[in-house]
Amino acid sequence: MGLTSNHLRHAIRAIQKDVDAMGDLLNELDAKLGDGDLGVTMVNGFNNMAAIADDLPDDFGRACMEAAKAMTKVSGSSFGTLMGISLMAVAKQTKGEDTIPWSRLSDLIGTAIDAMMERGGASLGDKTILDSLEAIRRACTELDRPDTVLSASVEAATDALYSFRDKPNRIGRARIFGDKTIGMDDPGMVAIQKMLQAL
Amino acid sequence: MKKLMNEAVNYVDEVLDGLQLAHPDVFKVDGETGRMLRKTTPSTGRVAVVSGGGFGHLPIFAGYVGDGLLDACAVGDVFASPDMNPMLEAITHADDGNGVVCVVGNYGGDKMNFAMACEMAEMEDITAQQVIVSDDVASASADKAEKRRGVAGLVYVVKIAGAAAAEGRDLAAVVAATQKAADSCRSIGVALGSCVVPQAGKPTFEIADDEMEIGMGIHGEPGVSRTKLMPADALVAELMDHVLPELELKTGDKVSMLVNGLGATPNEELYILFRAAQSILKGKGIDLVQPLVGNYATSMEMAGASITVMKLDDDLQKLLAAPATNPFWKG
Repeated sequence: MGLTSNHLRHAIRAIQKDVDAMGDLLNELDAKLGDGDLGVTMVNGFNNMAAIADDLPDDFGRACMEAAKAMTKVSGSSFGTLMGISLMAVAKQTKGEDTIPWSRLSDLIGTAIDAMMERGGASLGDKTILDSLEAIRRACTELDRPDTVLSASVEAATDALYSFRDKPNRIGRARIFGDKTIGMDDPGMVAIQKMLQAL
Repeated sequence: MKKLMNEAVNYVDEVLDGLQLAHPDVFKVDGETGRMLRKTTPSTGRVAVVSGGGFGHLPIFAGYVGDGLLDACAVGDVFASPDMNPMLEAITHADDGNGVVCVVGNYGGDKMNFAMACEMAEMEDITAQQVIVSDDVASASADKAEKRRGVAGLVYVVKIAGAAAAEGRDLAAVVAATQKAADSCRSIGVALGSCVVPQAGKPTFEIADDEMEIGMGIHGEPGVSRTKLMPADALVAELMDHVLPELELKTGDKVSMLVNGLGATPNEELYILFRAAQSILKGKGIDLVQPLVGNYATSMEMAGASITVMKLDDDLQKLLAAPATNPFWKG
């Protein structure tokens, strides 16, 4: 038993079902800090992915690659590109495999974080989705069951959101607002939490 | 905003359609995205060359699809990188099993999306390699050259890459020639008036009637200095002072030079600039080969010009002179 393309299909559909409400909230948060298009990116991206969910191949790597293509078809927010980069990083590691042991999830998240840091230029501690994912990566280490992986991930994403709330954004457009971002939630970090909660 | 256009949202697609209708033997709009322009008759049995970037700079990027130039090109919105999908379409369409060189301007979105497209291509067993062009000396100092933007030097790099591929060189050799071209170019621009992005509807920047900005980027990025208008000869002397030192030219060295219009400046004025720049090169005993004067890399209706100097060795000189067929290329 492990992570398969079926899980990916399920996750895409589950998130897409809630994405309109999620999108409104994220647009509102992003309008204060960024260019206000995070919600739009999420809505379009998940609608695109849902449209191809049934056709995703069983090869998990190839399925991630097709999902990355669909996600990145919405230009605009860097969030779409970063999701594409993470999916691609995972695709490269899992090409040719149908079932990924849950115990490998932590390492795969680590690969995605590395790829996003290399391409996007952010570091851990900048108050971005990387900090959420790093918390999730740590929480999932040595977990090997889907239910514990999911509950630990939701908890980690929520903890990360709260622990960074009182720190300033240090990269991207939000950085310009500096200390004014103290007390505000990073829209990308909220997106991660909301996506996991939808599962 | 005064533009000859229909709905702003259709701006790019209508230009692409116009290109393929006007030159059906050269250009074909293709791909699921409709944002991939390719040669009507693909080349086979050799390395392919692709590029891509934001729109609004014709002839660069998409305008240089043609024999001896680009095989295919990904097209973004005005001044905005295409997403990864048309880039991947350009790569997979152009590849004939011999690999693909991607000529990419040094902009965050373009680089990130092309890197992703190259990785995706790799998963389809296509080898695609990026060559990054960062020729604008005004955008960062020499010790931070990796931060410099890609501007009109892209024209030379596309030409060299296309010629090396057309000659039948293998992927490593085409990449090497393309990289050498990128390393041998230095550019700087000067802006006199702003451009207008159709969907923005208002000027990208403000500049007074009697001012010019030296070193401004092709999307209106801030330059090195804003000054009162000066005579062309004095301006060119200043521009060449920025461009030439890093090339470390010696008497007898060969260069090509592109005096490029940014969109709204007449050819007449480009030749006034060329005259002055040519005289500076001559005074230094530098051999000017195959000069280019005209609109090659524009910024919509921005008024102004840029000067690019490319240091040549025998191979680059030969590749620059190689035939290329395209409605825009004037060698």
